[in-house]
Amino acid sequence: MKLGTNLSLYGDVRDRNESAWLLPSSPGFPHRLRDEMTRYDERDEVDIVIVGCGAGGGTLAQRLARAGWSVVALDAGPFWDPETDWVSDERGSHSLYWTDPRVISGADPVPLGSNNSGRGVGGSMVHYAGYTPRFHPSDFATFTGDGVGADWPISYTDLRPYYEQLEQELPVAGQDWPWGDPHSYPFHAQPISGNGDVFIAGCEKLGIPARVGPVAIANGRFGNRPRCIYRGFCLQGCKVNAKASPLITHIPDALAHGAEIRAHCHVSKVLVDDHTGRATGVTYFKDGIEHRQRARMVAVAGYSIETPRLLLLSASNRFKDGLCNDDGQVGRYVMVQGAPQTAGRFEAEVRMYKGPPPEVSCEQFYETDPAKPYKRGFSIQTVSPLPITYAEHVVAQGHWGESLREYMRDYVHWASLGALCELLPLHSNAVTLSDEVDRHGLPVANFHYSMGENDKQLMAAAQTKMEEILRAAGATETMTIRRFAHLVGGCRMARSPKDGVVNAEQRTFAVPNLYITDGSVLPTQGSANPALTIMSLAARVADHLTAHQHTGPAAAAEARHG
Amino acid sequence: MNPSVVFIADRNRGRTPGSSPPRFPGFDVLNEVDRWDAVTAGVVLARLTPSPELSFFTGVEQATAEALCDQLLAQHEEPRIPVAALIDVRLATGETDGWHYADMPEDAQAWRQTLAFLDNDAKRQGGTSLSQLGQQQQAALVQAVQELDAQSWHGLPATHVWSLWTRYACTAFYSHPWAWNEIGFPGPAYPRGYKNMGLDAREKFEVADAANTDPVPWTRRAEAAKRRQAAAVTGESS
Ligand SMILES: Cc1cc2nc3c(=O)[nH]c(=O)nc-3n(C[C@H](O)[C@H](O)[C@H](O)COP(=O)(O)OP(=O)(O)OC[C@H]3O[C@@H](n4cnc5c(N)ncnc54)[C@H](O)[C@@H]3O)c2cc1C
Ligand code: SF4
Repeated sequence: MKLGTNLSLYGDVRDRNESAWLLPSSPGFPHRLRDEMTRYDERDEVDIVIVGCGAGGGTLAQRLARAGWSVVALDAGPFWDPETDWVSDERGSHSLYWTDPRVISGADPVPLGSNNSGRGVGGSMVHYAGYTPRFHPSDFATFTGDGVGADWPISYTDLRPYYEQLEQELPVAGQDWPWGDPHSYPFHAQPISGNGDVFIAGCEKLGIPARVGPVAIANGRFGNRPRCIYRGFCLQGCKVNAKASPLITHIPDALAHGAEIRAHCHVSKVLVDDHTGRATGVTYFKDGIEHRQRARMVAVAGYSIETPRLLLLSASNRFKDGLCNDDGQVGRYVMVQGAPQTAGRFEAEVRMYKGPPPEVSCEQFYETDPAKPYKRGFSIQTVSPLPITYAEHVVAQGHWGESLREYMRDYVHWASLGALCELLPLHSNAVTLSDEVDRHGLPVANFHYSMGENDKQLMAAAQTKMEEILRAAGATETMTIRRFAHLVGGCRMARSPKDGVVNAEQRTFAVPNLYITDGSVLPTQGSANPALTIMSLAARVADHLTAHQHTGPAAAAEARHG
Repeated sequence: MNPSVVFIADRNRGRTPGSSPPRFPGFDVLNEVDRWDAVTAGVVLARLTPSPELSFFTGVEQATAEALCDQLLAQHEEPRIPVAALIDVRLATGETDGWHYADMPEDAQAWRQTLAFLDNDAKRQGGTSLSQLGQQQQAALVQAVQELDAQSWHGLPATHVWSLWTRYACTAFYSHPWAWNEIGFPGPAYPRGYKNMGLDAREKFEVADAANTDPVPWTRRAEAAKRRQAAAVTGESS
């Protein structure tokens, strides 16, 4: 384990975040921590109420609780126990997904559900694959660099210290990383399966560099977290506690430092005092009854669909078109990565269901290539669809009936790669409110998505490259399904309110004590999976908040004494 | 192991849907049931005994749904995975995928409507409902919907109807242990995990593929024949 050698570089993880040592030594969640959790009264004015306990919300809760803030984090879904609530089964994992109604539209509508967002403490990372790459420095200034997308109000170097912290806390395993800002990882790379072997063999033949990792699965024990058993159900929630999600990487430490995590609480509105212009708390539904939590500060971290939806639902006399939406920016520039997956047939049995689906990546085509007609690029990674998802791949080729069955009988012979293409942000790709309502009577989100010309070229280029790699590895047949993954944007970070919803510190331009701390603040998305960046951004916001102490224990003490 | 689990497992020993010779002879995911965790075993074994009393589909809808699912998954003989019954459970409990296309009704309503449309099409072919037509005519009707692609079928975009049907049908079929036996997939893997990874590496409980036939040339021929047949059937009756 390399961890020890890097301690001086990164500081002691356990001193910063004890989660892995607070978990039980056999799988499950520490029930004592939950039973003894701090419980605030709704009339208490807590330092901060956080909406959503996923990548962004979970990280923020841990950081602020540790700094001594009174924190209440609300999540619409359950407080999971991996041992009793999750199953090692594809179909049986349906309850992990956000399955409240949503409408999809546009020329390229993006199916949601299992493919996009989660519900419950841990958020979408409960069922994310586990890839945790950093963004490249170029991602923060695509407009200046390539004349497309947008520039962020922060740069890569602003985020780098937080990438390093989070890579330690998850922790991340992988080979030394040659792309973007070259760096190494706290844990050595995992052993790989037949699917990874195929990818590496194909890349070697073509002279394309590929690397094992980066995955948020410790290669060995980490605190009380056991090692991976290579069972391949990462996208169904890791029952073993080997794969990182905020549920096990940040929530235990947050609880130990006095945060209250309130599950099954669907936030319906952010409350703003129209006279002072400040947020005063939130209303939420629990068991059909509306409650209210008062707070000195509010952070919204409900995912790129629910966050804009909540702001739009929080219209008031002062904010007639939706909270923070005077400039029409809420819900705009929602992005998805183009995520075509190509499978190749091999004479040998690949049995791609074995081992974690996230194994090997290649970022060789990530940056703009001046020789190509399109801007920006794509990454390629192993993916290993289980049978139900794989059947979707076969159906996408037009097969049904006996042909579908025949392809499926051949499942063990196919290896599968996935690309992530940087599709560009467009104002017209947006979350708006639909006429349909959910079970609380609240209008549901309509997510409208259409690709641009650059996007289509990237998708085609990525497919060709995956076919070449698989063929080079010996595939006799290939098939590709065109799909999308990883929604981000919708309340983007910008230098001015004309261009976005939050500033460089992720504070909304419109309401001084309202923050957005999830993937919706991303102005561009690169070709990297977003979770590590979302968590790192949230950790950065926490540093900013605790450094300035606009609220929190110091301010509260001041108020008492003053 | 608890006796009812043993009973369910025994009754399902080594089964694959239909009667073609298995590509993974002797492979039986249920051999490993006692190495599954109890929560997962409960969820998976429940699929082997869905209630015969459907509660979402009406009797007429049930017959059409069964005929449609049998076509989509080529289940033309026993034993059959009860695909329509598994879909019925989802629709009865409102367990949707959480999204629907803006140009489609929500899923439950979309199922009712599209089953009725299939029966309408069957009437035009001289039948009373989809299930009353011969196999080839049924296949031709289903094929016709797929071939419409982005065009409208009874006012709905055919691709979105196709997506609804195949998503629900494949989810039901490939969640069933008999289907896993057919494709060589061992199903639940906790707390057992896998030890032997790599090309052609197998665990003790995995069985080698006995046929190793590339599906591509076969399906190319079969699908061309199916299209010719469908054209002949629809041609005859119009
Ligand atoms: C199948 C799949 C694979 C993926 N693989 C990867 C991967 O390998 N690597 C990677 O980096 N990313 C991956 N992702 C994406 C990644 O998981 C998300 O981008 C990330 O978790 C988003 O973080 P977030 O903080 O924006 O939202 P989330 O993590 O989704 O958290 C949002 C939380 O808010 C809650 N919430 C929403 N609305 C409300 C409300 N009104 N009231 C109360 N609570 C609410 C939700 O229940 C949820 O728990 C994957 C996603 C999926 C679906
Ligand atoms: S493969 Fe490893 S990380 Fe993935 S779910 Fe299984 S044990 Fe967890």
